Amino acid sequence: MIIELGHFALILAFVLALVQCVVPVWGAVSGDRRLMAVAPPVAGMQFLLVGIAFAALSHAYVTSDFSVLNVVENSHSAKPDLYKITGVWGNHEGSLLLWVLILALFGALVAAFGRNIPADLRAATLGVQGWVTAAFLLFMLATSNPFLRVSPAPMEGNDLNPILQDVGLAIHPPLLYIGYVGFSIVFSFAIAALLLGRVDAAWARWVRPWTLLAWMFLTLGIAMGSYWAYYELGWGGYWFWDPVENASFMPWLAGTALLHSAIVMEKRGALKVWTVLLAILTFSLSLLGTFLVRSGVLTSVHAFATDPLRGTFILGILVAFIGGSLALYAWRAPLLKQGGLFAPVSREGALVLNNLLLTVAAVSVLVGTLYPLALEALTDEKISVGPPFFNLTFGPLMVPLLIAMPFGPLLAWKRGDLAAVSQRLYAVLGLALAATLVTAWAQGTEKILAALGVGLAAWVICGAVAEILSRARFRDVGLSTGLSRLYGLPGSAWGTALGHAGIGITLLGIVAVSAFEEEKVLTIRPGESVEIGDYRLAFGGLARRTGPNYIDDVGHFDIYRGGAKVAEADPAKRLYTARRMPTTEAGIVTFGLSQIYVSIGEVHADGGADIRLYHKPLVTLIWLGCLVMGGGAVVSLFDRRLRVGAPKPARRQLAAAE
Amino acid sequence: MWIAFSLLTVLAALAVLVPLARSGRAQARAGSAHDAEVYKAQLDEVGRDLDRGLISQEAAVAARTEIARRLIAADQAATRDATGEPGDAGRLRLRVVQMLAVVVVPLAAIGAYLAFGAPDIPDQPLVARLQASTQDRSLPELVARVEQHLAKDPEDGRGWDVLAPVYMRLGRPEDAAAAYAAAIRLLGPDVNRETDRGEALVVANNGIVSAEAHAAFERAVKLDPEAVKPRFFLALALTQENRREAAIAAWQDLLKDARGGEAWAEAVRIELAKLGVETAPAGEPVAGPSREDVKAAEGMAADERGAMIRSMVDGLDARLAADGGSTAEWLQLMRALAVLGDTDRLRQVIARAGEALKDDPAALAQVKSLARELGEGS
Repeated sequence: MIIELGHFALILAFVLALVQCVVPVWGAVSGDRRLMAVAPPVAGMQFLLVGIAFAALSHAYVTSDFSVLNVVENSHSAKPDLYKITGVWGNHEGSLLLWVLILALFGALVAAFGRNIPADLRAATLGVQGWVTAAFLLFMLATSNPFLRVSPAPMEGNDLNPILQDVGLAIHPPLLYIGYVGFSIVFSFAIAALLLGRVDAAWARWVRPWTLLAWMFLTLGIAMGSYWAYYELGWGGYWFWDPVENASFMPWLAGTALLHSAIVMEKRGALKVWTVLLAILTFSLSLLGTFLVRSGVLTSVHAFATDPLRGTFILGILVAFIGGSLALYAWRAPLLKQGGLFAPVSREGALVLNNLLLTVAAVSVLVGTLYPLALEALTDEKISVGPPFFNLTFGPLMVPLLIAMPFGPLLAWKRGDLAAVSQRLYAVLGLALAATLVTAWAQGTEKILAALGVGLAAWVICGAVAEILSRARFRDVGLSTGLSRLYGLPGSAWGTALGHAGIGITLLGIVAVSAFEEEKVLTIRPGESVEIGDYRLAFGGLARRTGPNYIDDVGHFDIYRGGAKVAEADPAKRLYTARRMPTTEAGIVTFGLSQIYVSIGEVHADGGADIRLYHKPLVTLIWLGCLVMGGGAVVSLFDRRLRVGAPKPARRQLAAAE
Repeated sequence: MWIAFSLLTVLAALAVLVPLARSGRAQARAGSAHDAEVYKAQLDEVGRDLDRGLISQEAAVAARTEIARRLIAADQAATRDATGEPGDAGRLRLRVVQMLAVVVVPLAAIGAYLAFGAPDIPDQPLVARLQASTQDRSLPELVARVEQHLAKDPEDGRGWDVLAPVYMRLGRPEDAAAAYAAAIRLLGPDVNRETDRGEALVVANNGIVSAEAHAAFERAVKLDPEAVKPRFFLALALTQENRREAAIAAWQDLLKDARGGEAWAEAVRIELAKLGVETAPAGEPVAGPSREDVKAAEGMAADERGAMIRSMVDGLDARLAADGGSTAEWLQLMRALAVLGDTDRLRQVIARAGEALKDDPAALAQVKSLARELGEGS
């Protein structure tokens, strides 16, 4: 009964979504307040219904109810309880349900916290959100219904794909989906603005926090996915420029651009039309990612669904939403008022540069992702666009962006003084040069590119620190007042500094790992040992261990440094019995910011094993940087002030500086 | 259950109806009027920031000027927008939406549910199913119970001994072999267990007698030199190893024990014929069964064999359809269907194998070449 109740709730949610599609938008366009008022309670009810459906499916998973086809296909009674729950979204149908749940959650959040939004904007926004929800619910009910039953029910399920049986599944998809779907609300705001024909002050005020929220979750979701691939796949790589990774990275790039253009719009009323377009593009890229992952166009661990009908359906949704919204944009955007003029050298100008570079970078990733797919579809020729392409296109776009990064926050609104800002960055430049020289000296001149990379990272990090220090004005007001000023700085300032510093930290990690990593692939026998970096690993042999639904061959390594034992690592080769699928469980030991990474390949009859061994200097910075970025977003989100970016009168600023 | 359904439906309808009834009078304010409010709030905020020392006096003045500029623009727009709202069109809209909530929403939801849902299938959590009484239960359910019991107490040799032949019948020879091995370890070896374990290994290995299976049969023969079944498989192993002379000797040795009428004796004669040795049909035993009886027995054995193969084929087919499988399994299914002479189904399976293995060129080539061998190549 619980399952059927979930099924009914899902259908009811779809019908209600149809109401949400029509009534509020009708009200907004015709100025009827009663119809507009329907939007918030319906959005709330929608969330409740999808929530019931989700809870019902989760219940079926937890109790191993094999009368549900989806549970049979993706669960197993011997699976640990955690993976019974995470298995709910470890498959196509269930993950789609999670996706719609988050969609409905965002609708409900706007309904609950959007009392300050003009009623017509709120109604139209929720209406557009209803379109998206209705489309995905229809997709789910028509092609991917998680509540289909089997009778008589089998006694055992097929188990979850072993690669997904990991804590990562509990964290990565929900974070990523909140990110993806969070952009839907920004998209809905943009379409609502186009429908109503105006981008008003409240619009500007509301878009930024929602973008920030979605961006934060997307950042953390991507970082988590990257770390998961790093420890689960056993090759020690953290980013593969795999089409599925790109599918999440493109909305991130566009979303980052959107975040910055929203700042300009909120503070200065400029770039309205562009921001609307970016909002549309960002969510379009999220949809494109969904299409790539679920249409069967790609083969990967993410490619749940390979049913052609599903692919066609998603393509239909994609074309309708992207095509429709861009057409609406072309038609209505000229109605929107442009505002706020500014000089090329100004905070706005810097943000425009940021937007240009990020958008072009997103396009380059898009080309690299779609070109091989298009070529294969048209000519049947398989090519692979790997890291070389992205290093050549994406890399050079990022360098000017990172160089310009410390300048942006220091420039004044409307008209800035580049020379004055440069003066304030002398110290930062000095530090960056020092970092470059020290690296070059320590690592030798043949790694000069790496040294320059370290310098760039130092430039970005020190630039962020310098910006926050200069806002405190220690030199003018003395230490104690400076500290209290530092404490009193608005969250948005800290957010900027943390976000920018996070990028620098991640960059430092990437450079260090790419340039200074050591790798060894060898066969090792019990009693032998191998040296890497400053460490020596002694292999103690393999032991067999039985888990709840798998068999492990666990290798034991004692790690020594300078003769003293400092750690142990237990990498394993695991066989999941239900699917007869092997996985690798890498042994990872963290020393400070660096890691030793061992994974086991073939196991030999004599007790030896083929292993891959890495020493990865500063590798954790890659993900720590992402956490810092996420922290920046949190701090910035808590800054609930209304903002206005007023140009500072040039004369007075000079006087203050003296 | 229907109470819960109705409750949800009523809630959904109320979510539409209540706001319609409540905010009937208030009219929408123009967006620009709302803008003015935001700007006023911004002015207050600048004042607060100034008090807290977050911005300087100059910056505050500049910000106020900027906001004031926008506020004036918004005020002008608000004056332009301030127009009345007609009431009659509104009443029509209201009726339409009320109808939608009261009639269309419940009917559409319940209609769609009756079309797609399965209201008559109850929840079936695994624990409850396993605890239910053992009457009218399917074999797989019983197996699952025994499996759960053995997962808790893997040292129960009797359990393994009971489970092993059931596994064989369910077409799970690998599990059967493992279960026999456990039974042998816990209860000690005997002829039947060793032989059946070997047989399970052979079935699991597509009919090839592996070294492991060979060893099992040898142990069985050692326990009972007269036993027919292990000797049969040992002879088969010799045939498979192409040791013609030894194989012929083994088969003939086996045939000596035939009393006439046994299904296995017929199989032995077929094997010998394959090796080019003609054997006289079993001499008419004095008090043996009639020719008709023998025929009937053979016929029955063939039927039984056919039925067994068919059930195994169905099992394998369903498994491959549900979650795919190795190339070897697909090839096994194709061979089995060819043996059964089910060409239509064979063609379908070839197509499905092609689809399932499309990413593996080597496997595809194997499927194609076997299809050609079976006369279904194109």
